Amino acid sequence: MMIRGVGASAGIGIGRAVCVRPQALAFSQVPAGTPRQEKDRLAAAAVRFAADTSAMAAGLRTRLGNQEAEILEGQAAMIEDPVLRRQIDDAIDGGSSAEGALDAVCGQYAALFDAMDDAMMRQRAADVRDLRARMLALLLGLPRQDLSALPPGTVLVAYDLTPSMTVDLRADCVAAIVTEAGGFTSHGAILARALGLPAVLGAAGALEQLADGQTVIVDGSRGQVICAPTPAQLARYQGLQAQFLRGRQALKAYRRGPTRTADGTAVQLLANIASPGEAAAALDCGAEGIGLFRTEFLFMGRQTPPTEEEQYRAYAQAAEAMAARPVIIRTLDAGGDKTVPCLAMPAEENPFLGCRAIRYCLAHPALFKTQLRAILRAGALHGNIRLMLPLVTGPAQVRRTRALLAECRAELAAAGLPFDPDMTVGVMIETPAAAMDADLLAREADFFSIGTNDLTQYILAVDRGNAAVAELYNPFHPAVLRAIRRTARSAREAGIPVGMCGEAAADPRMLPLLLAFGLDELSVSAPSVPAVRAAAAHWHVADARALADRVMEADTADAVQGLLDDVLARKGAGGEQAAPV
Amino acid sequence: MVSAKVKVINPLGLHMRPAQLFVRTITPFDCDVTVLAAGQSINAKSIMNLMAACIKQGTEIEIRCEGPQEQAALEAAVAAVRGGLGE
Repeated sequence: MMIRGVGASAGIGIGRAVCVRPQALAFSQVPAGTPRQEKDRLAAAAVRFAADTSAMAAGLRTRLGNQEAEILEGQAAMIEDPVLRRQIDDAIDGGSSAEGALDAVCGQYAALFDAMDDAMMRQRAADVRDLRARMLALLLGLPRQDLSALPPGTVLVAYDLTPSMTVDLRADCVAAIVTEAGGFTSHGAILARALGLPAVLGAAGALEQLADGQTVIVDGSRGQVICAPTPAQLARYQGLQAQFLRGRQALKAYRRGPTRTADGTAVQLLANIASPGEAAAALDCGAEGIGLFRTEFLFMGRQTPPTEEEQYRAYAQAAEAMAARPVIIRTLDAGGDKTVPCLAMPAEENPFLGCRAIRYCLAHPALFKTQLRAILRAGALHGNIRLMLPLVTGPAQVRRTRALLAECRAELAAAGLPFDPDMTVGVMIETPAAAMDADLLAREADFFSIGTNDLTQYILAVDRGNAAVAELYNPFHPAVLRAIRRTARSAREAGIPVGMCGEAAADPRMLPLLLAFGLDELSVSAPSVPAVRAAAAHWHVADARALADRVMEADTADAVQGLLDDVLARKGAGGEQAAPV
Repeated sequence: MVSAKVKVINPLGLHMRPAQLFVRTITPFDCDVTVLAAGQSINAKSIMNLMAACIKQGTEIEIRCEGPQEQAALEAAVAAVRGGLGE
């Protein structure tokens, strides 16, 4: 039997389940004393709560750093809030027990925070609920849930992992973590990654389906929990676990920048993300910045496009998380295979050749300017945001966007809002036109980023989704490699940086070619960062150039790949690639 | 009663950390402190209500202090907000 959830911390954990069920906090049978007595009980519990919580915060700070500790310090401040306390006292005066009053008032605040459109404020609802549960436990005289005595090899199964529960968690006794609530950015996920423990969060029904002592496999890379595994499954996952640990050990040294080739040439290694919450994971994997922030997700799953304010908050969150490191935000890339329901785009006969990406945005200036204003404003925070335009075919589109940017700056200045006055504007090279007129585009653009997925399909005129021709799709085709080389050459001649943000950038076979062509920056999925950094460290640029010279003489994709496979097999470069991190 | 207007410069607004610092700054003073922002009037010694007001970067807030130590409280509050509340 398998339970699915969010793979929040990579790795494989195998162990015995220990289920931590939420404490029964029933208080309806507790007789209420006089209001004076109830208020005194509440006040005494609050004093203990604040003292306990501050002590926990101090303990966590030394073990896990500031983020978790600050959440606990916030809870200590909450219980001392004079307005909250007056509301509780008022409820006691109205006839409630201390427990009933606390429960009701905390419930109101949790609902208030839950309803906010700010993701960070919604997190406060979880804090209020944790405060409520721990205060009730104090009032009812229940012991604090103790996780300090877990047996070795425990798979911890809980409804949610709160900072207060994690205080005495001993990482050496825990094989993995499974929770019913939470996701990639919740406290439990941050904690699991900080401790290097595999974790699957948001695994609904886990507490019901798992029993104490049961053998469980937790695959934190794929978000799967396997209960009562067969001997064959157990053997397979033990193998995967060993492979994962070997890979992680080998790549440990590469989880930090900078990225350098064997001869010391610097390459900037960035990560692709689709939501601001992924920035933390990217940093954790050692990304030196964000090379592609896909903004489509902001427009998904809703009835109307996001407002400037909503977009600003998302971009600001990413800018904030990366601080001084660059964040390249790609403007809305709607259309083609990316349908965005809230835009109600008309059906087209040939969506890949239709009104998509920059074409759609320029045709809908109000929508486009809302996004541009939000990006310009987020750029004011750290000056680290760069703008990137998808599916550009010629310089006129860049000039038109720059004109809209000028309008946006004037509007923001008039509104008294801070913005980046000098934002870098780059283009994605993903159409044959852009590769052909890269020399002209280089006069208008501040940087290039090659998008290999679209570039390959347009250069080769292949629909990847069409099984009859899908095997013709290959980024190692000589025509695609020539487009990449030509783009890099144009960028170098114009003195602007050039990068790659497609999936091919993480392929160890593509790497020597990109180094030979002189790419300055590679952007890959966060988990691929250490492996690409390790592979880059194996190459001397001179060797890569010699290899590229031979590769560019090959006249089929198969011949290209054959050559590269041979060289890599002999070199052993990229050997760590096998294990995901 | 004394009051002053000041702009919130914190990138993510008055979220938990800066709100906590603001409350800690003004709590010792013997006076009522009210923050007026976006049409709301907030008891500024309440971290819950300060956070619930969801005050964003760039918002101009008015701080009003009333009571024996109002002047000192106002000066401390304004200095703390101008200084970015620890961020």
